[in-house]
Amino acid sequence: MGQDVFEITVNCIKLVLIFLMMVQAVPILVWVERRGSAFIQNRFGPNRVGPLGLLQLLADAVKFLTKEDFAPDKAIRPLFYAAPIFALIPATLAFAAIPMSVPLEIGGYVFKIQGYDMNVGIVFILGVSSLAAYTILMAGWGSASKFSLLGALRASAQVISYELALGLSIVGIILLFGTFNLTEMINAQQGTLSFKAFGHTVTSAYIPNWGIFYQPLAAIIFFAATFAESNRLPFDLAEGEAEIVAGFHTEYGGFKMLMFFIGEYGHMMLGSALMIIFFFGGYGIPWVTVEDVRQWAAGLSESATTISVITTLVHFLSFMIKFVFFLWVFIWVRWTLPRFRYDQLMDLGWKTMLPWALGNTILTALVIYLIS
Amino acid sequence: MTPDVFLFWFLALLIIGSGLAVLLFTNPIYSALSLAMTMVGVAAIFITLHAYFIAGVQLIVYAGAVMVLFVMVLMLFDIKAEIQAFSSGKISGAIKLISVGLLSGLIVGGIIMGQKSFVGELSKDAVQVAEAQKVKKSTSPDAATKELGMVLFSKHIFGFEALGVLLTVIAVGTVALARSRGGTHHAK
Repeated sequence: MGQDVFEITVNCIKLVLIFLMMVQAVPILVWVERRGSAFIQNRFGPNRVGPLGLLQLLADAVKFLTKEDFAPDKAIRPLFYAAPIFALIPATLAFAAIPMSVPLEIGGYVFKIQGYDMNVGIVFILGVSSLAAYTILMAGWGSASKFSLLGALRASAQVISYELALGLSIVGIILLFGTFNLTEMINAQQGTLSFKAFGHTVTSAYIPNWGIFYQPLAAIIFFAATFAESNRLPFDLAEGEAEIVAGFHTEYGGFKMLMFFIGEYGHMMLGSALMIIFFFGGYGIPWVTVEDVRQWAAGLSESATTISVITTLVHFLSFMIKFVFFLWVFIWVRWTLPRFRYDQLMDLGWKTMLPWALGNTILTALVIYLIS
Repeated sequence: MTPDVFLFWFLALLIIGSGLAVLLFTNPIYSALSLAMTMVGVAAIFITLHAYFIAGVQLIVYAGAVMVLFVMVLMLFDIKAEIQAFSSGKISGAIKLISVGLLSGLIVGGIIMGQKSFVGELSKDAVQVAEAQKVKKSTSPDAATKELGMVLFSKHIFGFEALGVLLTVIAVGTVALARSRGGTHHAK
């Protein structure tokens, strides 16, 4: 955590800030979703509460907070009340391990712009986000209602099926970069395309050194699997209204239901962040390395602190732009594609994505072995 | 009370408590959820022992997949019949206590017999070699993962493949058993 009190305090505040950032991004995301989906569907979204309807979510939050706190008669109280709280835990723990910018160097201290830096970053993130299935199971069972149970079984089956495709699609990237650490993966994707093959170094000045140019199939499989992990359309039969009322959160109302959605948006943010770290260079700027940016900042100011702050801010901005773009793609796809049927979904996960991800892994391993 | 000590005792109590809860809950769903908590606790202990990769894989495989499947399958059973079938008479309680006593006696005996002061002269060389290897081992987490991979796929390749075959046999056998008793599809 740090050597002296100042560093420990700053790191603790950083943990809290990252959690708050994730939770506070949810109202903004919901506003973007409601206005964006309205734009796609050729109607207005919320535009009465506050300028451009921005305060709509605040009004919604106040409304939800003042609603009656009820539980069904036969509900199992501990599970029923624990499930929404548990919904926040996997997304928060995993999101705190995502590096969002270059470490900040101020006066001898080095502060990383992430909650904690795990050397086995991606294994930890996959492990913790796989605990999200328990939220669904606890909510479905604790509600003591047939709709909830059916929805919970279907949703958790979907989640664990696509976890496999998710993990396997990443193995190719791990083989390529040779590390689990997310910061090292980002550092390996700096600058322009260059790799070693048969003793020669192949470079190109037009293509950035991003993971997507090395592993396009893995990128497609990974992105599709993240839709399934966060129960977003086209994989959202867990909440399919016409089919099973509202699935595992049928019996929830008020703020407890909102917590489920905070968890779902948290998983969306996690998937978006992982997508850009693996395949789009993380916080790096395309064609430009971190050193180039640092030298440009050195041209602007003299003190080392300001240079470091400027570099960190520039890279944070780059991360945020890519992050917001992928979140918009999540929202865009939701209102573009229809929902999958359950058997189509299972077929896709087990019979299509898993073999393709396995084939990608084998092919990547073969290619890496042959060209080095 | 250093953080390490506090963390170890907290996690140990958590794991033992969850393990006991697995046995003592009559509702199978609670048992399964307590087992999941035990797995998460074991992963936490792995982290305190600096085995980060194993901790992550434990979370992914055990807590994230195996226990979820357990809980899912349990939700399809008739819980009232399961709760009534939970035996709690005096004879069965005595049998349970006796078997727990036997098992703990075995474990304690195994620990005592494995200690250095008890081991005979012939095994002293083996102990020395093991100590020398412990000093040589590098401590960075990347090297630990890499070493684990190298050893697993070279020296223990037979055990690895045998485990894979065993799991396949289990899966095929379960499906065969389910089909021979009618299964979920009615014979035409």
